Amino acid sequence: MDRRRFADWSLKVGIGAAIASAIPGVLTLRGKARSAATDAVAPGDRLVFALGQNAGQPVTRGGFSQNEAVLAYPEGKSDNHENLVLVAKLDPAELKPPLDMAGTAEGVVAYSAICTHLGCTVRFSEEPMDAAPFPHIHCPCHSALFDPRRGGIVMGGPAPRPLPQLPIRLNDKGEVVVSGPFTSPVGVKA
Amino acid sequence: MSAARWTVGGWVTERLGLDRLRAKYLGKPFPVHSTFFLGEIALFCFVVLVGTGMYLALFYEPSAASITGGAGPMPAAYASVVAIDATPFGALVRRMHHWAAQLMIASIVLHLLRIYFTASYRKPREVNWLLGLVLLGATIGASFAGYLLPYDQFSVTATAIGYGIARSVPWIGPALADYGFAGAFPSASSVPRFFAYHVVWAPLALSALIGLHLLILLKQKHTESAAARAACAPADAHLIEGVPLWPQQASLMAVLLLVVIAVTAALSAFLPVHPSAFYGPPQPMTPEVKPDWYLLWVYGALRLIPGGLSFRFLGATIGSEAIGAMLVPGILALAIVLVPWLDRGASSLYYAESPTASPRRLAFGLGVVTLFLALSLAGFGAELGLSVPVLWVITLAAPVLVWWGAFLLAGGRRAAAA
Repeated sequence: MDRRRFADWSLKVGIGAAIASAIPGVLTLRGKARSAATDAVAPGDRLVFALGQNAGQPVTRGGFSQNEAVLAYPEGKSDNHENLVLVAKLDPAELKPPLDMAGTAEGVVAYSAICTHLGCTVRFSEEPMDAAPFPHIHCPCHSALFDPRRGGIVMGGPAPRPLPQLPIRLNDKGEVVVSGPFTSPVGVKA
Repeated sequence: MSAARWTVGGWVTERLGLDRLRAKYLGKPFPVHSTFFLGEIALFCFVVLVGTGMYLALFYEPSAASITGGAGPMPAAYASVVAIDATPFGALVRRMHHWAAQLMIASIVLHLLRIYFTASYRKPREVNWLLGLVLLGATIGASFAGYLLPYDQFSVTATAIGYGIARSVPWIGPALADYGFAGAFPSASSVPRFFAYHVVWAPLALSALIGLHLLILLKQKHTESAAARAACAPADAHLIEGVPLWPQQASLMAVLLLVVIAVTAALSAFLPVHPSAFYGPPQPMTPEVKPDWYLLWVYGALRLIPGGLSFRFLGATIGSEAIGAMLVPGILALAIVLVPWLDRGASSLYYAESPTASPRRLAFGLGVVTLFLALSLAGFGAELGLSVPVLWVITLAAPVLVWWGAFLLAGGRRAAAA
């Protein structure tokens, strides 16, 4: 190997090594992944109010009236934003598939509150709108509409997927308890 | 002959060879026209942004950690912004920072329109056309990074939508979102990350890009009006007519800088902007918010694209959110990037054309501007009582009508027939 080739190769190897050494630093940019095991919602979790003066208190069947909804977290897991759920009390006679009927109790249904469009927090309608019959769930960001009576299917607007349902049951104290995992991935799906 | 009297100025001039610098650059001609100041206004807005930002950074705390404030627990970043608002002139400086950002983007957009409608992007100025577009994108990016910093309800909502958009990018979405936002948003690690973007990376990148933009301008010279060019003797056709940099243009620039500072201060004094204390600290609930005017068109597109619209491409599902936030803006951006190559007109090296000289250029430009306005209008569909189908008709029909109308009015058919 002559001197010119040696210098050439030294330069290439040096640049390659410098780039390779930067890779761990660049990978750090990804941030910490959530530890799904401790943070994810699990069967048996009680749902507690996310907002208001009752924040942290268990959501009970008697805690809110029919055609009303509240935002809730699985108890102790409010750090994971994807755990935010909307619990609504509807007329049991109006509930229809594709809703998971076994995951409802006395008209109480729970859905992920994270819009499947771009991740805003959805709202239960307070009043009927022209665009959709009452009751419905809408997103204040880009006007996605979901049907809480029929498994959160898309009634209109830009949402690409139904809201994931969170199966629940009532325990003997009337508290809302998670009975299974979300029926589909929460939030914006790539 | 006695030697000239020794002065400090003379000494510095001699040591640094300033005479040669003056001879080369201080006579540089600047054509005088009101629309030729738009780029300078953007530059001076940047100066105001850096000045006010340097002050705000002295007090701002880039942390989402919960602290106990006057009204209960709140993020440290939010508390520090509310505290800035409570200091003498603090609210004024923060509002000036917001207003200067709005004015900077507005003046860049107007500058872009001036360049487009006078065909000043033509050879050899394609490089500066592209650099200008990168500057516009970087300015909007810097603004978006700044959105999060007050860490109020509005900030977190806007940034969460940005995170959702990043996640919806085909193929690389989840990785892109996590690398850009330092993990799933909202999380405590995103505030220091966005602070670094907004306070270190963006201003450095903007400064470098602005410097390059101006160096290329210096090298390639300004365009001038066709009338000024026609008045030149043929032998002087390569010269630009204008006032010299020193002292006329420099004094105009000084006045303009003072006007920009005065306007941002006056706007800030009377019109509140981004009232963090009014929005309140972040809550799980999403408020009814709209983006700033320069992102309304993306917002409108996101509302218009129905959820059922999606297609598969090379193994990835392109959903409604990716179409509204990526595909539509991407196609529009590509069309604007390619303008210098789509224009088949003859090169006009030294002069800016009249906007009506080319009916095709005028019509295309007005059509695209109308499309942006129609998409922005779609963002107000609910307030205006317009349904999504009506907004679709407006979005599709208005640009075509304006395009065709401008083409006819500017004599496009006569030009085509001749």
